[in-house]
Parts: sequence; structure tokens; C-alpha cells
Amino acid sequence: MIVNNGGTENLEITMSSINTRSHKAQKVIERMGKKLNRQIVGSLVACVHCGMCTNACHYVLANPDDPTYAPAYKADQIRKFFKKHYDWTGRVLPWWVKAKSLYTDEDLEELKDTVFGKCTNCRRCSINCPMGVDYATFNRMARGLLVSVGVMPEGVAVVSKDQWEIGNQMGVLKEDYVDTLEWLAEELQEEWGDPNATIPIDRTNADVVYSINPREVKYDPRTISDAALIFYAAGENWTMPSECWDMTNFGLFSGDDDLGGAVARRLYEKVEELSGKTLVISECGHGYRSTRCEGPNWGKLDVKFPMESSVITMLRYIREGRIKVDKSKNTTPVTFHDSCNNARSCGLFEEPRELLNLVCSDFREMYPNRTENYCCTGGGGAMSMSEYTPRRLKSAKIKADQLKATGAEIVVTSCHNCVDGLTDLIRHYKLGMQVTQLVNLVANALVIEKKVMVPVEEITADLAGYRILVADDEPDFVTFVATILEDNGAAVMRAYDGDEAIKMARHEKPDLMTLDITMPGKSGIEVFEMLKKDDDLKSIPVCVITGKPELRKLIYDRPTTPDGYMDKPITEENLLINIRKILKVHHHQETVESKKQI
Amino acid sequence: MSPLLHFSEHTLQEAALAFMALAYITRLTWLFHFKAGSDRQAPTGAADTTPRRGILYSWFNIAMPWAMESTRTKMFMYIQFIIFHLGVTAAIGLSFIIPYAPRLLDSRVAAVILMAIIGAALLVGLMRIIRRISDKYMRAISSPDDYFSLLLLTVWFAFAFLSVPNSTAWGEWHLLTYFFLTAFFLVYVPFSKISHYLYYPFTRYYLGKTLGHRGVYPMKHARQSGE
Ligand code: SF4
Ligand code: SF4
Repeated sequence: MIVNNGGTENLEITMSSINTRSHKAQKVIERMGKKLNRQIVGSLVACVHCGMCTNACHYVLANPDDPTYAPAYKADQIRKFFKKHYDWTGRVLPWWVKAKSLYTDEDLEELKDTVFGKCTNCRRCSINCPMGVDYATFNRMARGLLVSVGVMPEGVAVVSKDQWEIGNQMGVLKEDYVDTLEWLAEELQEEWGDPNATIPIDRTNADVVYSINPREVKYDPRTISDAALIFYAAGENWTMPSECWDMTNFGLFSGDDDLGGAVARRLYEKVEELSGKTLVISECGHGYRSTRCEGPNWGKLDVKFPMESSVITMLRYIREGRIKVDKSKNTTPVTFHDSCNNARSCGLFEEPRELLNLVCSDFREMYPNRTENYCCTGGGGAMSMSEYTPRRLKSAKIKADQLKATGAEIVVTSCHNCVDGLTDLIRHYKLGMQVTQLVNLVANALVIEKKVMVPVEEITADLAGYRILVADDEPDFVTFVATILEDNGAAVMRAYDGDEAIKMARHEKPDLMTLDITMPGKSGIEVFEMLKKDDDLKSIPVCVITGKPELRKLIYDRPTTPDGYMDKPITEENLLINIRKILKVHHHQETVESKKQI
Repeated sequence: MSPLLHFSEHTLQEAALAFMALAYITRLTWLFHFKAGSDRQAPTGAADTTPRRGILYSWFNIAMPWAMESTRTKMFMYIQFIIFHLGVTAAIGLSFIIPYAPRLLDSRVAAVILMAIIGAALLVGLMRIIRRISDKYMRAISSPDDYFSLLLLTVWFAFAFLSVPNSTAWGEWHLLTYFFLTAFFLVYVPFSKISHYLYYPFTRYYLGKTLGHRGVYPMKHARQSGE
């Protein structure tokens, strides 16, 4: 059988070797030839095993007794079958240069464990290699090869499927997305008493087309309303597309260039369809890298319009005097975490600092920083691979130490992936810090003179009349949530385990339920399933609030998903935003349904 | 000079050099058969970071120990690296000086400098052998080629050191070993990791081009500690 490696070389893989090799292993070897380019081959042949990159990797630092985490060791797991099939030194003297083929599906599983479970593709080792070996790039290639034969962590498969089929990583339906934008726009108009304070959808010829991460719609709508407020304050002619709005791209993590190209192309085409002038990408490291840098390569197209990170847009507004900010509004000490994709692959590290210094009065640098910063440990899609969570959290010790040393109370990052990764490690290492984004700080620092004050009673009592059941096994947490909700006018019922939660739901029929996942008795997942199967209870909206984000897929893999989701620790502000959003959306859906029935 | 020593200094070296050149041409032709990946994105990062500057920065990165954390924090390793590679250069130079310009070694200063460099490289070679065997990370990433290449280079340094005076007062064995080893290297190198210097310009070129285009190279250095 002839394997053609990108039209450059023909290699014979004999029939006897095929007979002893699994179909998938055979495909991986064949497809490698099509993925190899000069840069990757250079990196595969140039390693001198000097070990200089070893301590650059956070996995190594957190696992000093396990050399299998060394970047060069991990790289060799890919290099060995490259050498065996594509490099004559490995074909002539395989043992001598540690060349070895892949034979079985177990070999592929082992490779999966390395390329997905022991590397976040953060590129820190690449910039520390004296030879210029870019391991992260060919690690991504190896991921793509495995994905092409269906060998990948379950979470990668689920998210990739959503992005192929629904058009965004989190399977957000168009109705939910548009509903959320409309609800946020209404809130904005109410707050500012100005019909122009809105979120224009599908406006043509806008100067700015704003694209976001689906996480913002699902878990963090405040980032959208804060961005909208900034655009409003700047008098921007802007819009958000009703479809093809996801700027994230799981192709970067899965190594699937076809997915990467398709996702990027959808967004580019949408901007062209709307005749948008500039595509602004909200704060997301991998989204920015995928859309701004890699998308044109994967999609093999030249993008005609400019694209920029919202960090640069916000900074531009301040520099041009289009918005005014007052840094005394953000006085809590903050530090900044550079996303690997932004800093090491897109050169975006000075602008966020400049912006932070304009909107915060106490910014403290984290060391090391910029291109030398350590990964949040949630990069490379790690947050979607729950099987590697213990490993991820162990390696997060390095980041936790870095954060702690700053003495800051808030860590700011321009990446949604990092928000999740940092939130998780902050909870795990009990650092008691909050994670936020620049958009939130800029919005908070805005000086808008024409603000119409809303009477205080309206804000403090806007949950009046709502009955909310809080189910969680941590009494302190229940008290915390209940107090906030009660202060805002809601009547709160409390349940401390799953059985009690079900009983109270049946008895009280609340307007909303917050639900922990791990509880004694029935788990939150069981409670959720029971609710959704019960005709009397299935209409009760549920907001999952959990300290174990890795379990979220257990609940999101079901046909019916919760109406909201939050990671612990939560803030008062976030809780209220999510609860209000759910109640509002729920109310809106009920109205539509009753109208349909009429 | 015996006919064998003359053969090893001239004919053998020339044949080995010709073989090496052929092997390198084949190797580079193979490398260039792979298409170069393209970068279609508009540039990102600061305006003073361009592909050209990125390439230059990348090529000379190795001469800037402060530029990479790996070299900055392991200065001793970096110094070893410099000495080792100076030793290789000196020992290669010696294989041309002895047959083609032996008068240069009449200068005592030149001979002492060469011996000092090669002697220091020999010591570094020994230290590197110890590190490769004793450090579990190094063991995990080492192949037989890594051990063999390092061992052979260290032995070669020893004989190069002895050959610097170009004297046959105690016999020709050291010169013969040195020249036979040199010839062996020339033939062996294209098959081993020692050929890394052939790839260095390419890996660094492409990394520099990409990171220069994306505003990462040249790297700006903020303080990297809170001290
Ligand atoms: S620093 Fe570079 S050459 Fe050295 S072991 Fe790491 S990848 Fe290989
Ligand atoms: S890319 Fe990052 S996580 Fe992967 S080996 Fe290199 S330093 Fe470690």
C-alpha cells in the first residue's frame, strides 16, 4: 500500500505491517503524511533532547517525580511514529533513535492520554526551546489525527458535535440567544431610560459586528450587557448577528482543521452578509486566536474586513475620548492573567495592561507574565475533559501560587476559558479570589452623565412575589443565597438534600429552584431528572449552582437542560443577574406558549 | 608522518566530507519537499514586531541568554552550552588546521587557546554524560543515539586535546584516533541528532516568522519577578 505524504513522498507500508495494525492506527499513520508541513517536520527532527524546556511546563513543576510530563517526552510519543514512517533515520535504525510505530487501539488510547490529558497546548515550552521546537503545534496535529479516527475525550466529541451541528460550542439555540439579547436590551433601556441603549441584532452596515463566546449567553450574560453599555456610551454603530455569532472554535483544541475552517468561515460570511465594517471579538483567548489568526489559514481564505479584540476596541474608545472612565470606581486590588493564546500566539499583552491601568486604581503585576505567564491549566479544551480534572487541578498549583503571591483580591483575564479554569483552581486551593474580565471593569468605571436614576425600591425588590427554592447541602451557602434573594424581595424555601428538595418542590411549587449537583440522598442530577419527568413540576425553571464544573456535562448531556448554570463561588451580582434572567426568560416563554394555545 | 596518518588526515577526511555533503543535501531536499505552511492573517501585536524582525530575533535568540526563561534561570547550563559548542568548533577547526595549515599551531598562544577551549568542552562533555545518566528527566527523554553521540563527542574532545600540539613524539596513535573519529563523525552525523545544527536555521526561521507576524517576537521583557 502506498501512503502519500502531502504529495511529497511516497512511503510503502507493507501488507504484513497492515495486517498487524488496527484500522485506526493505520489511518492515523496515513493521515499524518497529509498534515506534515515544513514547520512541523522541522520541529519533529530538530529536538536534541537537551531538557531545557522541561521546567517550562506547569505539569512538570507540579509533578516533579513523573518524567512522562516533560515536554520532550510527550513530544517523543508523536515523534516516534513520525520517525518510523516518515524519517529515514527511524526507518534505518529505529531502535537507535527510539522510532516506533502505532499498532493497536490501545496505543492510540495512550497517545490520547498524552496529547489531550498531559498538555494544554500552551506553547510555553516552545518559547523556551533553544532549537525553536514548537511542540504545541504538532501536539495539536496529533490531536487532529486521533479525532479523525474517533479517539478523543468524550467532552471533545460532545462539544465538537455541538459546534458542527448547532453552530456553537454550547449548543445554545437561536431562540435562547435572541431571547437573552432582547432581555438584556430591555434591562439596559430601563436602566438608562433611553431607547437607544439597546442591542441591535442583524443591523446592516454597522461599524462594529460584535461576536461572543456562547458561555456569555449561558453563564455570564453580564459580559454582554456590559459590552452593550460600553458600545452605547461610545455612541457606536454596532450590531450582533442573530446567527453565526460564535467566535470560539473548538477546532483549535481538537486539532480538526475542517471544523476550525468551517466555524471561522461561518462568522466571516455573516459579517460580509451584514456588510459589517469591523469584526470585534469579545474577550476570549482561544476565540481571538482562532478567529483573528488561525481562521483564515484553516478556512484557506483571505478575510477582507479588519478584526480586533474588544480589549483593543475599549482602549481605542478611551484614547479617542469616546468614553470616559473613572478608575476610582474600581479600587479593589486586581492582578492580570495573560491567556496563553492571546499572549504567546497573538501578541496581545500590553493593551490589557494599559486598559487596566486606566480603569483600576490598584493593579498588581503577576510574575511571570505576558509571554512567560503560566497557563490557567484550563486551556487546550481541558475544561471539557472531565476525565483529566484531578491532573488539571494538581498542575494548577503553580498558577495558584502565582495568584496568591500578588496579594490581589480579583484576577482579571481576557479569556472565558481562563475564567473557568481560574475559578475552579481558586476554589480548589481556597484562594478566595474573584475572577472577572476587563469588560466588567471598564463598564463599572464608565462615567455616563445622562444616566436616569431608577428608584432604589425597584432594584431592591424586583424579585418580590417570586417563590424560590434553594437546594444545597452546605448550610452557609444556603444562607448566603437565601439572604440575597430575600433582600431582593423573594420568598425563599430551603432544602439541604435531594429528597427534601423534591418533597418541597412538590409541596411548594416554587417559581424557580437553585440546585446543587452533589448532595446527600438524591444527587442534583437525580432531582433534576425527577423534576423534568413530573408533569406537575417540569415547568419549574432550575438554576444549577455547583462546585464541581466537571459534572456539568452529566446534566447538559440530557435532552432537557437546566435554565441556568453557575460555578461556585458565586457573587451577589452574578446570582441576581442569572436569577432575573431565568425568571424573565421563563416568563417570556410561558407568555409565548399561552399565546400559542389561545 | 606515516602513510596511514597521511591517509587519515587527507583522503579519509575528504571522502567523509563528500559523503556528509551528499547526505546533507539529501536531507535538506527531503525537508524542502514538505510544503511550508502559510499565515494568511493580518499582523497582530505591536507595530514594531514584523516577520523579518521576528526571524532575526529568533535566529539570535540563542545568543541572548536573558531572552528565554530556560537559559536565564539556568545560566550554568547556558555557559556549558557555549563552551561545548565552542569546543566543537575548535575541534572541527583543528581537523583542517593540522593537514592544511599546521604552522598556525607553532604559535604557543594559539595552541594554548585551542587546548583550553577543547579541554573545557571535554569537562562539559563529562558533566553532560553524568547529567544524562543521573537525571531521571534526561534518562526518560534519551535515546541510544543521545548517549552514543555525547560519549563519542567527549572522547573526540579528549583526542582533539591531545592532538593540538600536532606532535608525534609519543607516537601517532592520538592523531590517528582523532582523525579516524572525525571521519566517523562526518559519516555518522547526518543520521544522528548531532545534525541538529542543520535544522536550527529552519526551525528558528519559521518560529520567528510566525511569532514576528503575530507580535510575540521580539519579546518585550517586563520584569519577570516581583523582587
Ligand atoms: S528544549 Fe527543545 S531541543 Fe531541548 S529537549 Fe526541549 S524541545 Fe528538545
Ligand atoms: S505546550 Fe504547555 S502544557 Fe504542553 S508541554 Fe508545553 S509547556 Fe507543557
